[in-house]
Amino acid sequence: MSPRYPLPAARHPIAERLLADGDAVREAIERFGSPLHLVFPQVMAENAAGLAAVLERHGVPYNIFYAHKVNASHTLLGRAAAAGLGADVTSEAELSRALAAGFPPDRIEATGPKSRAFIERIAALGVTANADDLWELDRLAAAARAGSTVPVLLRLSGFASPVVPPSRFGIDLADADAALEAVRRAPGLDLRGVAFHLDTADPAARVDALTESMAVVAAAHRKGLRPSVIDIGGGFRQRFVEDPEPFQRYARALAAAAPGELAWPGHDLGVPAAHKYGNHRPATEVLERFLTAEIERRPVAEVLRECLLTLWIEPGKALVDHAGITVAEVLYRKRAAGRDLVVLDLSRNQITPADQEVLLDPVLVDGRGDPLEEGVFLAGRLCLESDLVSRRKVFLDAEPASGDVLAFVNTAAYQMDLSASAAGGHPPPRKIAAILDGDRFTFAADTSDDDHGS
Amino acid sequence: MRYDSVLDMIGDTPLLRLDPAGHGVPEAEIFLKLESANPFGSVKDRVAWALLRDHIDGIVADEQVVLEASSGNTAKALQIIASMHGVGFRAFTNRVRVREVREMLSLLGADVTEMPGLSECPDPTAPNDVFGVIGDLMEREPGRYHHTSQYTNEDNLRAHYEETGREIYRDAGPVDLLVGGLGTTGSTRGAATYLRERNPDTAVVGVVAAEGDFIPGIRSAAEMWEVGLFEPGFYDAIAAVDSADAITASLELARRHGVLAGPTTGAAYAAARERLLSGPGGPVTAVVIACDRMEPYLSYYRHRRPDLFGAARSATQDAAPSVAPEQMEAWSAAGEHVVVVDVRTALAFQAGHIPGAINLRDDLLEQVMEAGTPFSEASRVVFVCPTGDRSARFAARAAATGCRAYNLEGGVLSWRDSGRPLAGM
Repeated sequence: MSPRYPLPAARHPIAERLLADGDAVREAIERFGSPLHLVFPQVMAENAAGLAAVLERHGVPYNIFYAHKVNASHTLLGRAAAAGLGADVTSEAELSRALAAGFPPDRIEATGPKSRAFIERIAALGVTANADDLWELDRLAAAARAGSTVPVLLRLSGFASPVVPPSRFGIDLADADAALEAVRRAPGLDLRGVAFHLDTADPAARVDALTESMAVVAAAHRKGLRPSVIDIGGGFRQRFVEDPEPFQRYARALAAAAPGELAWPGHDLGVPAAHKYGNHRPATEVLERFLTAEIERRPVAEVLRECLLTLWIEPGKALVDHAGITVAEVLYRKRAAGRDLVVLDLSRNQITPADQEVLLDPVLVDGRGDPLEEGVFLAGRLCLESDLVSRRKVFLDAEPASGDVLAFVNTAAYQMDLSASAAGGHPPPRKIAAILDGDRFTFAADTSDDDHGS
Repeated sequence: MRYDSVLDMIGDTPLLRLDPAGHGVPEAEIFLKLESANPFGSVKDRVAWALLRDHIDGIVADEQVVLEASSGNTAKALQIIASMHGVGFRAFTNRVRVREVREMLSLLGADVTEMPGLSECPDPTAPNDVFGVIGDLMEREPGRYHHTSQYTNEDNLRAHYEETGREIYRDAGPVDLLVGGLGTTGSTRGAATYLRERNPDTAVVGVVAAEGDFIPGIRSAAEMWEVGLFEPGFYDAIAAVDSADAITASLELARRHGVLAGPTTGAAYAAARERLLSGPGGPVTAVVIACDRMEPYLSYYRHRRPDLFGAARSATQDAAPSVAPEQMEAWSAAGEHVVVVDVRTALAFQAGHIPGAINLRDDLLEQVMEAGTPFSEASRVVFVCPTGDRSARFAARAAATGCRAYNLEGGVLSWRDSGRPLAGM
């Protein structure tokens, strides 16, 4: 028997409970079909409360904006509204959904590159514009009526610190003065503050970006503007595993493996990034590390209070961490190319974003029996050789048979709909909300039928 | 005992048995290896001398300049040894974060190049780090410099193997547990290697600062995992200790055992006790490396535990005379001289302050005011902070010395929110 390299996923108690409740999963599949995305709004509320508790414990004035792009679910968006969060939207469609979910315009922030039409709606509604470029500021200035106060954040980039990763987004620090000038001259705009977003959990990088951003806050004061917000974006990470050891062991084995040994022939899995599927630290810890990091020998939280700035954060992944699972039925098992395959009624792009390999093992619902000795590959249902749900050998913890249900854990962040296609006439899996009510689950459709797949 | 050179006083440090009534771990013998008793005050005296001893004659003859990456104790010891021999020394470090350490280095005449960055302990594997700068320097002028290279030099390990480890074994016999802070990892690895040759079961615990926290001279947990510097297999455990526990433990060492040791020693002592208390119990011999003294870290203690320095006394706070922004403006308009003292950090001050204010951050102002009130009696002095709570203390103290001092009601926040202008720098 060759060595096994299982990658057990951390499971939230709600997911754990559902995965052990075969009848409930069957009921969901009978009512809504397979494959199926299930979201857990209760988990999202818990995540939001966790982040808020950290900010409150450190006495930082704050606002949390839910980065809706992470999951198109209406249920999750609605839950964010009910939890008192703001919404971070990236398109007109997301803006409409946020309004429909009950967010008032002053609790909505628009981020990312924006079309003219989007900018006009932002200006008309008075939604906060997180400006990605000087072009957007000019369009905003033109769209905002004199006398209105459309709130604007300048998304900054081009930081000098070598630990801040470069970004394609935002206004280069060299252009910050021109951006401030554009806001100052526009009679309908109000500079709310400055923003950045870093794709790293490194507190030192955020500290450096914060320090450099303060020069822009100072420049704004010199121009008579009144910034009151520092927006540090998201990037707080998901906690995929309880223990990083199996991941590290797998990564070492992968590096040492012969071609085709742990990966499907022709596919190189590369060096897996430990900060993603190897991460066992919760987002609250990433946030806390930032707030307790030091600037001028003083914790960031205190410096923010001293700077009279309200901290805005835009978590997406961190808010929906563990807030969803995806289930698919096993069609059949087969042997091909000298390897064991488990064929699912699912396509690769419906479970993973941007063709990334999911480095967590799915779980057999109501799984019984011994762990599978040999690893298997999970195959999708499209007519593409590349439609393998797993291009890596997966070591399942129970024996799958035709008709069994395989569950992918912690899929609510980007995995459900960032890349999902309807190729081959297979619509993207339906999405439903699963609510734990006492000791049983109730299910409700997440989307209206004319908005299928979102 | 008579010595003819201070360098002869390096090493052979005392091993102090802690009174069990004081440490409270049943059946355990806990010893402190008092490296703080070295003549320049730290375990690094051994390292510095071990790195230079065999080379110093050549360095003197060739008039070389000694280079090292160090943020504190190593730099101090190397500087002293270099100046005793009349040769130059340059230290490179990311940042000297503790005031007394910085001041001591300049007092001794050290040429310190600070390169603002991440870590207290440099990372030899990182690009653009101090090691790159040292390498460039040596390449530009071959033969001009001598790089002692404490992170990679085997002499560092050897000193602790041949001296520290041997001394511990001589004085304590077989050791079950050795605990020390992790910087270069030289002291724990060197000493433990010797001790394990005598007792293969010697457990070794390396101590780091909790993630996101800072303890001078040792790495943080995050750095430990990210830096490929140490051999994880060598240690039985890596213990992460937060600065609050390190400080508490060092105070306990001072107050109960009379050992004035710094926060790193506190961290190691805390980790040792925790491991012993959670272990199986039974007779055990543990040695904790006390790497340096407490005094160079007074500002560190003051910053983290202002309560120990009397900062909690606020009896006079209510008596602080306060002033509303309108009144302050009226004084200025009437031609009175008003000094506005903003006690926030420089960053906050630069980002936006009351026009005309000066910046004296609270912890520095605290020190200044211990020596007296630095303001003219002819001026009105208005203290401001974010919300008016912290500045009230200074207003009260200054007023008590006869100064015309006031606290700005509501601080900079109400100033801003009332629509008044802020100046940025």
